[in-house]
Amino acid sequence: MNSSPHILRDFDQAISSLKGEVLAMAAHTRLNLERAIRALMERNVELANSVIADDDEVDEAERVIDQLGMDILVKYHPMATDLRLVVSSMKISMNLERMSDHAVNIAKRAKKISNAPELSEVNLIEPLYTLADHLLRDAISSYSDGNGSLGASLHTRDKELDKMHKQTTAHFASRIEETQGRCQEYLHLIFIVRSLERVGDLSANIGEDAVYLEHAKDLRHKSKLEREMVEEG
Amino acid sequence: MPVSSQVHEKTPRPDFIRVEDFSFHYGEKQAIFGIDMAIPENEITALIGPSGCGKSTLLRNMNRMNDLIDGVRHEGDIRLDGVSLYDPSVEVISLRKRVGMVFQKYNPFAKSIYENVVFSLRVAGRNGKKELDETVERSLRDAALWDEVKDRLHDSAFGLSGGQQQRLCIARAIANRPEILLMDEPCAALDPLATLKIEELITTLKNRYTIVIVTHNMEQATRCSDRTAFLYMGKLIEYGKTVQVFENPKEEKTESYITGRFS
Repeated sequence: MNSSPHILRDFDQAISSLKGEVLAMAAHTRLNLERAIRALMERNVELANSVIADDDEVDEAERVIDQLGMDILVKYHPMATDLRLVVSSMKISMNLERMSDHAVNIAKRAKKISNAPELSEVNLIEPLYTLADHLLRDAISSYSDGNGSLGASLHTRDKELDKMHKQTTAHFASRIEETQGRCQEYLHLIFIVRSLERVGDLSANIGEDAVYLEHAKDLRHKSKLEREMVEEG
Repeated sequence: MPVSSQVHEKTPRPDFIRVEDFSFHYGEKQAIFGIDMAIPENEITALIGPSGCGKSTLLRNMNRMNDLIDGVRHEGDIRLDGVSLYDPSVEVISLRKRVGMVFQKYNPFAKSIYENVVFSLRVAGRNGKKELDETVERSLRDAALWDEVKDRLHDSAFGLSGGQQQRLCIARAIANRPEILLMDEPCAALDPLATLKIEELITTLKNRYTIVIVTHNMEQATRCSDRTAFLYMGKLIEYGKTVQVFENPKEEKTESYITGRFS
């Protein structure tokens, strides 16, 4: 990526505020997810409520990023890396907004679970969350550092989360059959696991946007071999 | 048979204009350093680069316009459909019939619209009214100007707007049915709407002509060219499909130039 200053200083400023807004939105989304999971683990209804309330800020961030991106396109007609940065920033903010919606879903279900008697199997969620959070963290780094190889690796790593999703869902489903009385709570847990699995998918999407940003390559729906070639640089 | 359908039947030649290790000197000063590039037939090729990079010099060599300047010399070659422009059998006058040129500042002659278009025919001694009338209508239609001027063909060319005068110059350049049109910043003196009309015209002309355009306007290069060559300090830095050059240039210098980070 070209790091020399642009002849128009306003342009550099506009690009860095766009990137700054995306990173702030990403940090906010990651925090919302972390708090939603904590609300679930700690049975903290107040914390879950604040996650639900804070989602408005993430929605607003998406609008701001779209507007900044459009302003840059209209005013400066960016080319090459600059053009790719604007396009990928707008796409990434859309993925982040969806992730924050999943945090809200988790928070809403955490509230319901908290109102029922304690369920020790809530702990099974933690490893899925840890992996989803690492995928999200690395997706954000791949964008902020322009690291296409890291971005391309997320698709493969997301497969592990998919596997865990399948296993955990099967476990909760079997528990529904075994313990008829806790059906509601296990269903909530199944949907929470589903949300975490989606966070992994959306992180992999962001990784693909980072590949586009660095290499102008579109990895969506591409073969394993093509992905590996980008991963290996 | 109309000219356009004749062209559609043959396969465009990928190296219709071939620049081979071409260098050019104005006296002591070397303006172009060993450029190699193949310009395909029936495509629009844009030459971009900062002032003094050699893009106009290269363009003007494609119909030997620079021969008129004292103390110039070249090395290497430029071939048109395989034949060197510098081959002793090539007459400069017939070369310029094959390679028309349009300049930055529209420059119609102080004559009527009609006489501007048929000027080259009259110089060649072709004065038959039927041929002249047909040439005027065909050229003005091809230059997307016919409907605007058909009722005042014998009025002075200077009465036209800037954009119309430039389209008249394009009509004049294609009156002799050249194979190649060279355009040196054809929209530099025009307002945005007149510019878009010329760009639309250029796009429609490429079915019949091979077009090479020098432009400082990168949006123009992206809008209307198929290939873009970036020149810097007399060297060809990058040459490729326009979308690739502007979306993902291979060379860092190209990236710096097109993103405005050039010092």
